[in-house]
Order: sequence, then structure tokens, then C-alpha cells
Amino acid sequence: MRVTSVILRTAVRLILPLSLLFAIYAALKGHNAPGGGFIAGLIAAVSLCIYRMSHGSTALMKLMPVHPRWLVGSGLGLAATTAIAPLFFGAPLLQSNAWILHLGNEELHVVTAMAFDTGVLLVVIGVSVGMIQRLSEELER
Amino acid sequence: MNLPSVYYMLVAVFAPVVCGVATLFISKRDINRRVLVAVAGPVVSFFCVLLHLRYYGIGVAAEPTNAIPWIPTLHLNIAFLTDGLGVFFALLVAGIGTLIVLYARAYFGKDEAALFRFYPTLGFFTSAMMGIVLADYMLLTVLFWEMTSISSFLLIGWDRDDKKAVKLAMQAFFTTGMGGLAMFGGVLLFGETTGVWRWSTLLETAGELQVNSSMIGGFILIFAGAAAKSAQWPFHYWLPGAMAAPTPVSAYLHSATMVKAGVFLIGRMYPAFSELAAWPPLVISFGAVTMLLGALLAINQHDLKRIFAYTTVSQLGLLVCMYGLGANSFAGGTPAIDWDITQIANHAFYKAPLFLIAGAIGHVAGTRELPRLFGFYDPNDFQKKAMVIVMLLAGYALAGGPGTVSFPAKEMFFYAVYHSFETHWIFKIIALMAIATAVCNVAIFVRLVTTFFGSKKYGLQATETEVHADDGHGGHGHEHEHETGLWAWMLWVPAAIIVALQYVGGLIPPIWNAVFSHFETNSNYEAFAHGVPWVWEPFFHPSIPLLMSAIAIGCGIALGLSKYMRDSVVDAHDRIYPSAYWLAVQGGFKAFHILQTGHIRHYLIIVFTAMLIGFAGAIYLDPTLVEIPVGLDPFEFWPGVLLGVIICATALLLPMVKERVVRVLVLGSCGFSVVGMYLIYQAPDLALTQLMFEIISVILFVLVLRLLPKPDMKPPPSQAVRALIGICVGVSIGWMTLLAGHHAENKPEAEKLGAFFKEHSHHGTEMTHHRGGEGKNIVNVILVDFRGFDTLGEISVLGIAALGVWSLLSGRRALHRKYEEEEATEGGT
Repeated sequence: MRVTSVILRTAVRLILPLSLLFAIYAALKGHNAPGGGFIAGLIAAVSLCIYRMSHGSTALMKLMPVHPRWLVGSGLGLAATTAIAPLFFGAPLLQSNAWILHLGNEELHVVTAMAFDTGVLLVVIGVSVGMIQRLSEELER
Repeated sequence: MNLPSVYYMLVAVFAPVVCGVATLFISKRDINRRVLVAVAGPVVSFFCVLLHLRYYGIGVAAEPTNAIPWIPTLHLNIAFLTDGLGVFFALLVAGIGTLIVLYARAYFGKDEAALFRFYPTLGFFTSAMMGIVLADYMLLTVLFWEMTSISSFLLIGWDRDDKKAVKLAMQAFFTTGMGGLAMFGGVLLFGETTGVWRWSTLLETAGELQVNSSMIGGFILIFAGAAAKSAQWPFHYWLPGAMAAPTPVSAYLHSATMVKAGVFLIGRMYPAFSELAAWPPLVISFGAVTMLLGALLAINQHDLKRIFAYTTVSQLGLLVCMYGLGANSFAGGTPAIDWDITQIANHAFYKAPLFLIAGAIGHVAGTRELPRLFGFYDPNDFQKKAMVIVMLLAGYALAGGPGTVSFPAKEMFFYAVYHSFETHWIFKIIALMAIATAVCNVAIFVRLVTTFFGSKKYGLQATETEVHADDGHGGHGHEHEHETGLWAWMLWVPAAIIVALQYVGGLIPPIWNAVFSHFETNSNYEAFAHGVPWVWEPFFHPSIPLLMSAIAIGCGIALGLSKYMRDSVVDAHDRIYPSAYWLAVQGGFKAFHILQTGHIRHYLIIVFTAMLIGFAGAIYLDPTLVEIPVGLDPFEFWPGVLLGVIICATALLLPMVKERVVRVLVLGSCGFSVVGMYLIYQAPDLALTQLMFEIISVILFVLVLRLLPKPDMKPPPSQAVRALIGICVGVSIGWMTLLAGHHAENKPEAEKLGAFFKEHSHHGTEMTHHRGGEGKNIVNVILVDFRGFDTLGEISVLGIAALGVWSLLSGRRALHRKYEEEEATEGGT
């Protein structure tokens, strides 16, 4: 499943950072505008898949800082921790909390749900990339 | 300075398990110290209960200890009820537990591994049992009840290499566990109906309870639990099976304490429930049948432990029957029950020694088969002499001979039966059953005497073949050198201590009465007002019950000496559990083969048919569901209609194309049209998600399809049926969606779901306990906050699916390599 078109290879080098940036934007913005962890995860996964199509499996694994299964594990752990944490403060499961940080003239809204969303993001990337990577490895063997 | 009473009880309940676990941290070789720590548990419990008595006296039923909150919303807190019944049982459990620890040391010898495992398990059981008898909250009792089932399971299957023992352990566990579940259900039903969740409240409000069918149902379920635990017919089969356990366990769990938990429970319920119409028929009939059946089976056994197991069954039947008779009344109008705790103590004080000595004899002689123990009494061997004497002393109590507590106890039971004669003619039959039971018990004692002393004329003798046959009852699964000195004595000294209590009570009743009058709550017949009478008193007051005893003893001696009932028979009830087990396994296989065909189309047919039936039922209940809703304009929004047509067309195309890859592409185009639909209805979140998801799923599908084997091009059978089901499902789901959407649209603005989320997603209001996601994107707030738990579940499923792909594929690779290697070697040869 490797496409060796020069145009695609060159284009993907530009597309990948942009779309990853867009994924981060969607993840951060998600609480108040269209976006969110799930969508961001899917966007990142799709762009990584395209990168894999054009540059091959080894290049993708070099690009990924850790093996996808670590992403799944840490994402699940993060989400579960955020879900359980409120119980220790006498609040119900998954209760979210917000702080408003004042940075100069700007206000920054920090929500605990953010951490939960990041967990979702990591799991989605890990699962999609990991499954596609593993299945195509099987085919290319 | 007195501690609150609940703390004494907490220590009393948990000391055994704490000490038991503590033995794990002592060096395996340091056996004596381990025994010391293990014995400390029940001793501490015993003295804690005594201290509690010293400071607080015997609690009145309505005055439990103060409660420590645990789960108040579930009516489950930690509080203890220290009335006579509970405290007596606690002292019994802790007292006998102490002696069992010492006996186990002698029984297992210096076997380090056995004792290492044994003491923690025994401590666990002791604590659970203390919990049952002291707990005030019914659910706390249920909790400890299940813990005794578990520990009993662990102890019966003690010898892990013995498959038979493991099976019998499962039999006991399932039988008592089912009973425990019934009891749990009963407590819930009863508590929900009446609002009574504590034994103390139950005793306090006895007689004021509203009788209704749910309450009776609750009572019957609790009784079923008690009956299963106390081995009442037809559940009695587990108790003789439980004799696979090491003897210390049989003596402790399966004669003196755990099996009495059911009797204890019936005793707990007696004051409150004996007025119920269901009480006498239920309790008396099961008790009486068990009593006679156990006695008849006991005399027809050869293995000492099985004999005593069946007499235990019989005696438990008698105790249950005794509480049943308590619903009748003596001539003076008082309930026909007397000194019930003495009855319970009586049984524990002769049955535990019988078991202990049976184990000791098996230990010394290598067999427990009575015929092979012919002439076991040896005047020159002090150990054997002591064992036989202690066993016969306990056997004399089993027979209910004068001079033991057992004699007046049986008299009291006969009185209760005799005074019930006026109530119903059936009690005359029960009197006959009671006499027959007593006859069997006497006969067993006679057989023990004649066999141990080697009476050639009357004793049981093994035939030539039996003597040399290995019966497998010899030791306890392992061999070790016999102990000498103090620990050898411990094989029979604990039994001697316990059996001595029988004779103290029987010969010097004032001592017994002084102790037991504190515990007893039922003292009704005037002749027994002062408790156990002097041994000669009954003979100065000849009565029908005395005559019944005389008949029983006379006939029992005759039966014991006769040549009848000398064989070893198999109880037909032993087949109940294996047959039920076989049926469950076979049924499971059948159901598996019918339901799990391995074809996804079969599963889908089942799921969809069930759904269609549900929908048809809904239409049957509400025929307006199939009417076309008013105000429906199909051509409201043209672009939507256009996209809808495309979606429908691609969906219809899907089953028509044959090639898999084309199918995936068609499915993809269907999905992309849905993206368009989301866009024109202004749902950018959903559109974006759907778009990304479609891309990923098409890639995944294509990858997976290339890994699948070549499709089978033959058209599968029953295509017409599947097409029909498909059409019905499609139409009904479409229709339901239409109805749901239409109704939601016609609601007033404030009631719409959208309005709710709009209002609450940012800050939340009173209604959501000021819970909001603090966000403006409703979809995201729903995902991470309102429905966060769903999301957590979904990502877990995703993670598990990925793990499945990784692990299954690597297995596939290994399989491939194996095939390739095999092919290579085949090609080579």
C-alpha cells in the first residue's frame, strides 16, 4: 500500500504538519467551537495514514515518538484518571471544573474536561494508526 | 473507662482473621510460634465477648450496639446484636475454634505447608462465622454468610490434587451458595416491603408487621437459605460430601458451627415469624423429614465420618423442627419450646468430639471404616484407650443416655411434640419419627461399643477382602511421621474437654443452668422452669415423653445388637448435584450449538427479529404509531430530499453489488452523502467527524478485505427470508426515526433536548446540580461531560479492539510460520 508518486510525497510533507497543526487547533478550540478530542484524533490519524501511504511504514514509525499502543494506554489512563479524580474531592464522577487564568489582558479558560478530551485524542490516534499500521504490515509481509 | 460496645464486637469478629493472616509472616519452620499466634485469634474473640458481657450484660433484643456507618443508603452499617442467642453462638464459635487450632497442629503434624495454608483459612472462617452470629444488619449477616460459604469451599477442597474432593467442594459451594442467594433475595424483598433492615428492629416489631404476600415470599426465601446451609432435606447431600475436608474442618465447620448458621437464622426469625401461618408447616415438615432421613442413613454407613455426618443432618433436622414446634403451645398457652440454646449446645458438645476422635482414629489406625476398626480398643496402648473412651463418652451422649445434657434435651423435645398432639393428628406421626430417630442414635452407639471392644457376636466385622482393600480413607492426603508427646495428646484432649461439658451439665445441672439461664429466652414449660433437671428427677415424674425415651433406648439397643441395617448404603440424593451439573453442562452445549453458529447473518437475524417483535408489540399497544403524523411536509427542504434520495440509492445498491471492494466504496459514498446531509443542516462537528471517520473506515475495510479469504460466490440459502427481514427492519427503523424526529420537532421549545443542552452546557442550573461543561460547544460538552461516562466506555472499547488486532494478528503470523515450516519439511521428504 505504498504509493510512490513524487507529487504526493512532496505534497504530504507540506500537508502533514499543517493538518497536525489543525488537529491541535481543533482539540484546543473544541470546547467552545466545532472540534474536540475525537475529531482532532481522527484528523491527525488520517494525515498520518496519508503520510504512511506516501513514505512507507518505517518512516511513519520513525515519525511517531512512541509506539501507538503507548498512546492507547496513556490515553485511557489519562481519561480514566480525570474521570475518577473528582471522587476524591467529594464530587460525582466526571465532574468538570474550570479555572480562569488572566494573562495580561487575555482570559484563558482552563477546563478539566480538557484532560479527558486529550485522553480521547490519544486513544483515537493510537487505535487508528496502530490498527492500520499493523494490518498493512500484515499485507506487505 | 468502657469503650463503646461496638468496638468489643469488632475486635471479637476480626481477631481470628487478623491472627490467621499474621501467621503467614512467621517463618515456616517456627511451627510453635505459628500455633501460638493462630490460637490467639479465637482466644481474643472469646475474651472480648466475655468482657462485653461483663460491662454490658446480655443485650435486650431491642438494644443493639451503636452503629458505625458503612453504606447507609443500602441499609448496611456495622452494628452488632448481642442478645442471648448471638452471644452464645459467638462463645461457641470462638471456644471450639481455639481447641480446633490445637487439634489441627496435632492432626497435620509437622507438615509445614499444610499448616501454613490452614491457619489463615481457618481464621477467615472463624471471623465470618462470628460475623454471622453477631451482625445486627440483615445484609451484614448475608455478607458474612457468603464468606462462610467461600471458606467452607476452600476447606473442603483442601487437598487440591484430589479431584473428588474438589468436586465435592464445588457441590457444597453451589448448594449453600444458591441458598445464600435465595436468602439475599429474601432479605431484600422483606426489607423493601416492610422497611425492616435490622434484626433488632425485627424482634422489636414482632407481631406488628403487616402480613402480605411479598413479606411471606421474603420469609420463605430466607428460610430456603437457612435450610440449604443447615443441610435440610432435600439439600442435605452436600454435608456428607463435605467430609472430604480434613477432620479439624469437619468437626468445626460441618458439625459444630457453620451448619448451625441455618439453625441460628431460624432461631433469630423465630420470635418474629412464628406467628405466620406458613411457619409451622414449612419449618416442621422439612425439619422432621430431615431428622428421620438423616438417622436412617447414618445407621446404614460404615465410614465413621459419614456416620456422624448423617447424624449431624438428623440433629439439624431436629433443631429446625424444634423451632417449628415453637409455633404450637403447651397446655398453659405458652409456646411449645424450651431451652433451645441448650439443645444447640448439646449437639455441639457431643458431635464435635465424635468428629475429632474419628479423625484421630483415622490418623492412628489408617482407616475410618468401622468394620476394619473391629477390636480397636487396646488396654495396653494408652493413646488408643483414651480415644475409644472419649468417643464412647460422646457416643453415649449421642444416644441421649441419662447423665448427659442430651437426655433432658431429648426429653424437652419429646414434651414439645407430645403437647402438640392436640393441635393436629400429624404430630403423632412426628412423635413416631422422633422415636425412630432416637432408636437409630442409640443403635449407632451400641454398634460403636460392640465393634471397638471386639464383640465377635455383635460387633461389625470386616470380611477378608475388606481388610486388605485400601479404602482411601486412611490419612488425609499426605504422609508424615506421627507425633509424640504433647501434640499426640492433642489428638484427643480437645475432644475430652468438650465432651466433659456434656457430663458437667448432665450430672451437676446447677452449673449448666447458672450459665445458660443468661442466654435462654424460651423457658415455657413449668417443669423446665429452672432448666436442666437433676438426672433422677424425670424418673420421679413418669410421663409419656419418659416412656418415649425408654422405648427409644430399648428398641435402639435391640436394633444395635440385631443383624439388620448393617450394610453401607449410598444415599440416592447424592445424585442430585451431579445430575443437575450434567444437565446444566449438556444444556449449555446444546444452547451453544443452536445459538453460536459462527455466522454473523444468524446473529443479525436473531437481533433484528427480536427488534421487529418489540416494534410489533409497541404498535399493538398503541395503534396510532402507524398513522401518518399530521403536519408532515415531505418536500419541506429540497436539498435534503435530494441527498436523502442519494443515501437511499447507495444503500439499496449495497446488497446488489457482488465485489467486496466495490461494496466498500458504495458504503463510503453512502457515508459521504451523510456528511453532506450534516453540512446542509448546519452541524459542522458531526460533518467533520463523519468525514474523517469515513476515510479511516474505508482504509481499514480495504486492508481487512485483502486479508480475508476469497468470498464464497454461491448465494447463501434462504435469501428470500433475509430480504424480507431486511426490508422490514429498514422500513421500521426509518419509520421510528421519522416519528421520533417529528415528535421532537413538535414539542414546545422549552422541552426540547436542544434547549436543555443550550441552557446547561455552559454553567448548569439548579436542575443539573450546577453541573455544566463550562463550554459553548454543545456537542463537545455532551461528549466529555454529560455523556462522559459513555465516552470513557467507547474509548475503552476502541482500545480493546486495537489490542485484539495486535494480539490476534501476531498469533496468525505464528500459525503461518508453522504451516510454512510444515510444508517445507513435507516438501523435503
